[in-house]
Amino acid sequence: MTSAALRHNAFVYDNDEEYVARSVAFLKEGLQAGESAIVANTRDALAMMRDALGPDADRVAFVDVSATYTRPARAVAAYYGTFLEHLRRAPSVRAVADFQVGPTPAEWQEWIAYEAITNLAYSHLPVWVVCTYDANGLPDPVLESVGQTHCELLGHGWQDSDDFEDPRALVRKLTPEPDPLLELRSFSAGDDLEAFREQLASELMAEKVPAGKALDMLVAGTEIAANAVRHGAGIEEVRVGRAEGRFVCEVVDRGGGFDDPVAGYLAPREGTGTGLWVARQLTWRVEPFASPRGFAVRIWL
Amino acid sequence: MRGSRPSAEQERELVVAAEAGDEAACRQLVELFLPAIGGIARRFNIGGQVQRSELMQEGVAGLLFAARRYDPRMETPFWGYASFWVRKAMQELVAELTRPATLSDHAVRGLARVRAAQRAHAQAYGVEPTSAQLAALTGFKRAQLDRLLAIDRAPRSFEEPLRADDGTAATFGEMVADPRPEKEYEQVLDKLEIQAVRGHAERLDERERTVLWRHYGLGQPPQTLSEIGAGLGLTAERIRQINQGALEKLREAVMQSPDGGGAGI
Repeated sequence: MTSAALRHNAFVYDNDEEYVARSVAFLKEGLQAGESAIVANTRDALAMMRDALGPDADRVAFVDVSATYTRPARAVAAYYGTFLEHLRRAPSVRAVADFQVGPTPAEWQEWIAYEAITNLAYSHLPVWVVCTYDANGLPDPVLESVGQTHCELLGHGWQDSDDFEDPRALVRKLTPEPDPLLELRSFSAGDDLEAFREQLASELMAEKVPAGKALDMLVAGTEIAANAVRHGAGIEEVRVGRAEGRFVCEVVDRGGGFDDPVAGYLAPREGTGTGLWVARQLTWRVEPFASPRGFAVRIWL
Repeated sequence: MRGSRPSAEQERELVVAAEAGDEAACRQLVELFLPAIGGIARRFNIGGQVQRSELMQEGVAGLLFAARRYDPRMETPFWGYASFWVRKAMQELVAELTRPATLSDHAVRGLARVRAAQRAHAQAYGVEPTSAQLAALTGFKRAQLDRLLAIDRAPRSFEEPLRADDGTAATFGEMVADPRPEKEYEQVLDKLEIQAVRGHAERLDERERTVLWRHYGLGQPPQTLSEIGAGLGLTAERIRQINQGALEKLREAVMQSPDGGGAGI
């Protein structure tokens, strides 16, 4: 039976048969206990699972992840939304989710960090997630990270991982320090959020950002600016411009800032702020960091 | 864009715009890389069970997915990155469509009945039965029969050699007309349009949109609250309230759709 809080485990499989056998056994055990069951994988693997589950397939949600893993923050939110939906009709959820990654080492790091974040992102939900890793299809650095990001691994039964790392420490280690963006220009709007939005809108239009995306930045920027006013002793400077082809807005405040590499990735719940979560959902990347002018949050649209 | 290769910077801007949901940019990106996608599709020896147009559609979906993930910081050219996802999308399609079909007991029994009727008819009359005769012999409706026959049909290989009248050899695949590339990705772009209208701004009513667009000058010169109020017959204070309410509604929309307005899982 799934416990009251998240269990985030993993197993590495050598072939399709092993993937199917272990996943099916795990999900069927949950179904027998009245839990909800989810399989997330590509369509061809889902078809295998559907066949192997037989009549039980009707009680399992099959989720095609072909287009899910775009940005870590959005993947966290997508899973969170799916779990909430299932928890409306079952006391707990079991999910088997296959790890998907692209071809570049920078991406591997980003998605290994995502797995570390998963330990905290919806840690309050009664969900048992088992991540599956294809030993023959994934790069070695990814496979070597499985024990770092999952506290229990499936061998002969569930075994504690000897390599498990504190998720925040691991995310910090894997997240590159932001480079200075000298091409940005600054404006000052004081602590007036409406004046900030009007100036930001003007800059967005000057950079020919489409209206829908501009609106996303206005909402995300407002969240960051409001945090700077409420918690950061006021806005010191706002810097905007284009970098790497994207519109960027950097809000520098006068406070001491915070040092939490998973800020904004934790699904909303009592006791957590929601401003960074909203900003991460609406934009490409959000980077909090200590800059020479003060604590900064950089938003990439 | 077709015919002239964009610079690396233009290509990056196109990818960023496509990621942002700009449909014109998506189309341009697809047009630019369609020949390269076709090149990957040609490498699949698909044995007739997967059509080239299906492979192309999957390839286009893979390309647009890559655009949603591509980060110039990877220091990899876009196609160097995207080709991985294009190939993967095609591989998954081929794996899905060519995997052995698992038939229900009911279908297996039905298929056995059809084959027995075919054999009996051929032995009795020396010819294969027509579909109508087979339906009458087995008691299946035409639709049921068609489904069973489709399962039973041996796929025709694209590489199957054909003999032309002049004696030159060709393959079945070469004889099949290659549809216009535009048609091959039209369905994928249609899906994109559906996603585009699901943006958070769609949660706003007409008046809220008007106020936000005019006030912040989105695609038009910005107006003061008083100017917008004068146009709508409302006070500046009422416009300010509508403006605030609309922004709050957008924020709530993000909180209520935990997938950030994206496709979800």
